[in-house]
This record gives sequence, structure tokens and C-alpha cells, in this order.
Amino acid sequence: MSADTASGWPFWTEPLDRGEGIRWKKVGKVFDPTTVNLPVGCLEFAQSPHALKFEDFVRVFFSTRSADSDGGKYRSHIAFVDMDKSFQSVIRVSSNEVIPLGALGTFDEHGIFPMSLLRHGDAIYGYTTGWSRRVSVSVETAIGLAVSHDDGVSFQRAGPGPILAASLHEPFLVGDGFVLLIGDTFHMWYIFGVGWRRYEPEVPADRIYKIGHAVSANGIAWVKDEARQIVPDLLGPEESQALPTVIEIQGRYHMFFCYRQSFDFRANVDRGYRIGHAYSDDLRVWSREDDASLQGTPGDWDSDMQCYPHVFECDGRVFLLYNGNEFGRFGFGLAVLETVMP
Amino acid sequence: MFKWEKLGKAFTPQEFPGRPWMSEFAQAPSTLVFDTFVRVYFSCRPPADANGQYVSYAAYVDLDRADLFRIVHIADQPILPLGGLGEFDEFGTYPVSVIRAGNEIRAYYGGWTRCESVPFDVVIGCATSTDGGTTFQKLGNGPVLGLSLEEPFVLSGPKVRYFKDRWYLWYIAGRRWKLVDGRPEPVYKIRAATSADGIGWVPMNLDLIKSRIEDDEAQASPDVTYAGGRYHMFFCYRGSRDYRGKAHGYRIGYASSTDLVTWTRDDALAGIEVSDAGWDAETISYPHVFELDGKVYLAYLGNHVGRYGFGLAVLDGTLG
Repeated sequence: MSADTASGWPFWTEPLDRGEGIRWKKVGKVFDPTTVNLPVGCLEFAQSPHALKFEDFVRVFFSTRSADSDGGKYRSHIAFVDMDKSFQSVIRVSSNEVIPLGALGTFDEHGIFPMSLLRHGDAIYGYTTGWSRRVSVSVETAIGLAVSHDDGVSFQRAGPGPILAASLHEPFLVGDGFVLLIGDTFHMWYIFGVGWRRYEPEVPADRIYKIGHAVSANGIAWVKDEARQIVPDLLGPEESQALPTVIEIQGRYHMFFCYRQSFDFRANVDRGYRIGHAYSDDLRVWSREDDASLQGTPGDWDSDMQCYPHVFECDGRVFLLYNGNEFGRFGFGLAVLETVMP
Repeated sequence: MFKWEKLGKAFTPQEFPGRPWMSEFAQAPSTLVFDTFVRVYFSCRPPADANGQYVSYAAYVDLDRADLFRIVHIADQPILPLGGLGEFDEFGTYPVSVIRAGNEIRAYYGGWTRCESVPFDVVIGCATSTDGGTTFQKLGNGPVLGLSLEEPFVLSGPKVRYFKDRWYLWYIAGRRWKLVDGRPEPVYKIRAATSADGIGWVPMNLDLIKSRIEDDEAQASPDVTYAGGRYHMFFCYRGSRDYRGKAHGYRIGYASSTDLVTWTRDDALAGIEVSDAGWDAETISYPHVFELDGKVYLAYLGNHVGRYGFGLAVLDGTLG
């Protein structure tokens, strides 16, 4: 597959400008899961891409889905695709899920979505979000840890349970952990549920979640900044915020995430996921400054929805991987940072 | 060997109609001694729903301190509401363990949710009372001891204690869900956590009591008291299959420790067995030891794990 050639190649010849706010140059969709053979019988979905750099390629982990044979409910599995550093071509797709789903009754029995990666010494830490199905509501989630010693081809659980889960003031739906080691401290940005709400009678309850922060000395035992929502709402209290990803650019921390209304968001274009942005100089106070530069392209793969961002640096440039329409059913795309605010 | 004299069943919920939320069961007794009465907290149930599923409420009965077989008062309402949609305690508050903490009374309880692949999951919540234990307010909408790396599901049966300026919580943690005739049955073991304030808990991450009757033995109700320079734990245990009847059903075991980490199990010392006939002839479970006016009592459940109430026994002599 090829990237959007209209964007011009190579796309990072110009230096990073300052002063015009965050501005992304879209490259286009770079991976379509329906064009490759996926592991464990998965046919569609490459959600929540997360890049792990190697010397001459980038390994992009994502969640893909299998459907239960009985009722058609989905299970998410983690796979990866190796791409050349220009994201023009697929080198390899993993032949297996990198971690099997959890045992009967465990927090990650019914799916792992997403997984974020952190190189730590010779190991790669994979922070998973495990899904387990409930009866009165659809699901509960928690964050697990799995470790790889073979460059991410396979991961072993640190234990059968989660490392971050529901607690006194975060009653459910802890997930989407993204971890950076800054100085001697591991920082995790994640989401926690603040409500399950039935917006109309006889329909399944929808969830509302916000972005939070935890710290750790070892990446395993975490202390939450319990129930503190760190990114202000743009859409009001019923905004759901998901998948924080953080990068330091020129001395300032930038967070990208996605946000949406909490019901009627799947098919209603006006209420679906958009990419949000906040910045911080102290890792505590985050100022929200959503930027209009990453908009959907009418008629294109991301026309109706932009979600599940992952920001990373590679060879001196800052990239954003993200999903488009239908939560990434048909793959993920790429944008490159052109400008950053002062 | 301890020698318990059985005193009989002390409370039968079916004898007190008019509380639809307490139509049957009085499970996992936990006591708090007042000037003139002993308040026994327990968990009870309204009738099962159309799908045969139960919810569980926590309540109490006050027994006359001078005559434990005289009922003084029964809770007019459950001491706690069930949790909201999607919360950990949406479908049950069972079991409950209470303790005085300054001017408050704290309750630690198992909160039940329903799952798809297994029937339920449980984590431990905390609530406090400022009206003498009649009503409790939850500290939060989530658990005070939730799932963690080594404790992946079914954290239940909390028993809170305060020894030597430190909070202790004994509880059970699920080790695996075992398929028995196609049906998932939880295998759980006795564990503990410690805390400086009773709110932030650090699990010991140890199975404290060695399994005896089989590897998949399930252990519950770890009830710890201190006497005579040692810690005494009464608990109950059962087999992993066909445990609803007499053969593999709950029995009461015993272990002791001097350091609260290493426990020596010797069930032969427990000193209480099923009766030849009557309300506790098939199984005995959920022991709770308490001292009252110079005597040591044991509250426990009989057949059908407390469906028809709980009973009492009194120790011949002292624990120490």
C-alpha cells in the first residue's frame, strides 16, 4: 500500500516552525488490516496503533478483532505490523497475537485493547487494557503489565491480575495506560470511568470516562492521583476522553487524546471522536488547546472520525498515528508535525 | 484442642417477616459489643429474581448481652444501599466485618458484581457509621481493596482487625476458576493485607494457610483473635466439587501464628464439628470468635451456608 502521494514525499524536509499552534500535515492512511493476513482469525480492525522504533523499521502494535462464533461479540487481540521508516511499505505482519487473552474470570479474558509500549533496559513493557464482560453493563476494564524480551514478538504477563484497576474513587473502567519514564519517575496517563448512564430506556448503558495520572518508581506499583481529571472538558461534563499519549517537544509536554460525546457517538458524525490536545510545563497542570489542524478529509478514510492517537518521535520528526472512521475498522493513518506552539 | 459447647441457633430470619430484603439467609456473622446488647451484623437476601439470582444486603440483629438468645432489635433497613449501575457492589454486600475506629464504626464488605463467563466477581469496599452502626456511608463508589497483579478476582470475606497500632485485613482471593461439570467454581485462599490507616492497603501476596484436603480446597472466613501470646485463626474450608452437601461441604479449621505471617494449621484443634442431627448437621462455616463478659463465643453458620440463620457456641476455658 502507499501513503497519500498528494502529501508530498519526503514529508519532513522543512524545519519545525514555531508560533502557529500545533499543525499536522496529513500523510494519509498507511495500513489497512483487510489487505493482510491477521493472526487468530481476525479480519478487520487495526485500532490504537503504538509505534516501537528499531534501527531500520518501525514496529506498530495495534488491536485487531475476532468475533465469537456464537453471538458475534468481539474480542480484541494485539498484533503488530513492521513498516519501513517512511511508512510506505509493510515489511511483516505478526503471525500470532503477541499475548494470549487472559484465563477464565480474569480481567483481560475478553480482549486486550489497547497496549502501549515502553522500552526499559533490555525489556519492553507492554501496558495492556484488559476487557471482561459484565451483565448489567457491557464491560469492565483494568490495566495490566506484560513484558517482552524478544523485541515485542511475545509478551509474558507480570501476573494474572491488573496493575491498575478500580479503586475507592475510580469505581470502574480504568484503562488506556500510556507510560513515559521522566527522570527517575514513571508517569502513566490513563482513563477512569465516572459514570455508566442509560440515556434511553431499553438501550445498553453508555460510559463516561476522563483522563487521569499516576506515578511509579518501578513501572509496576503505581500511585494514582486518585480521581483527579487532569484535562478540562470541552464538551461539558458528559465528554468522554480516551487514549492519552504524551511527548516532550522543545521543553514542553504535549498530550494528544481523543474525545467525544458519551452517547449517539458511533454513527452521528457530529458527536464522534475528535483528536484533542493539551500541554503542560510541570506534568501537573494541563492547559487544553484543541487544535483544528487535524480535521477529517471529506470523502476520505478519516472523514467522520479521528481517534486513538499515538504521538512519537522518529529520526528527528514528530509523528501522529491515529484511527479514522469506524474506530479503525479499516486501519490507521499518519500525520507529521509541521508547527508547534511556542 | 479447643472445646466448644454448642448453644444452638440464635437467629432465624424466616421468623421475622415484614422485611422483604431479609426473607432468608443470615450469613457471615460479625459482632460489635454495646453496653446492653451484642450487635451481630450479617448478610441476608430477598427472594431470588425471575432468573433465580439473588442480591445480598447487610443488616444486623441486637442480642441481649445478658441472654444472647433474647433478640432485642432487628435492623429496620439494610445498613448499606447496593451500588449504582456498573459499580462493584451493584448486586450484593456480603460479607461484612465491623470495627470501632475512634467515634466511628467502620464496615468492610464484599461487593458483588455479575459477569458473563463466570457468575460473579467480588472486591472489598469500606463504609463508616457515625450513628452507632445503624447506617453506613460508603467511603467511595469503588473498592478499598481491588484487583491487583497477584489477586486477579474474587476478593471477598473481609475480616478487619487492629493489632499493635496496625490495621489488618484478612480476606480470601480467588486463585482460579475451576470448571466442575462445565460450571465455573471459584477456588480461593486466605490472604491478608496491612495498612496504616485502614484505607490504603498493602497486600501481603501470600497464601497464608496451607491447603489440606486437596490443592483446590477453598478457604473462607479467616477470623483472627489474639490471646495468650499467640494469634488464633478460625476459618472454614471445603472441597472444590459437590461442596453443597455434607461430604465435601464447609468445615471449620484452625491455625495459629506468633508473627501474623507464618501460620501453623491444625484443624484437629478447632474443636467444633457438624452435629449428628439438626440445623448444623451437614456443614459448619463462617466462624466468628468474640469475647463477652469473660467468655469466648463462636458465631457460625450451619446447613445451607446460613440460609436459616446463625448459631452460637461457647468455649470451655480460654483461647490462651
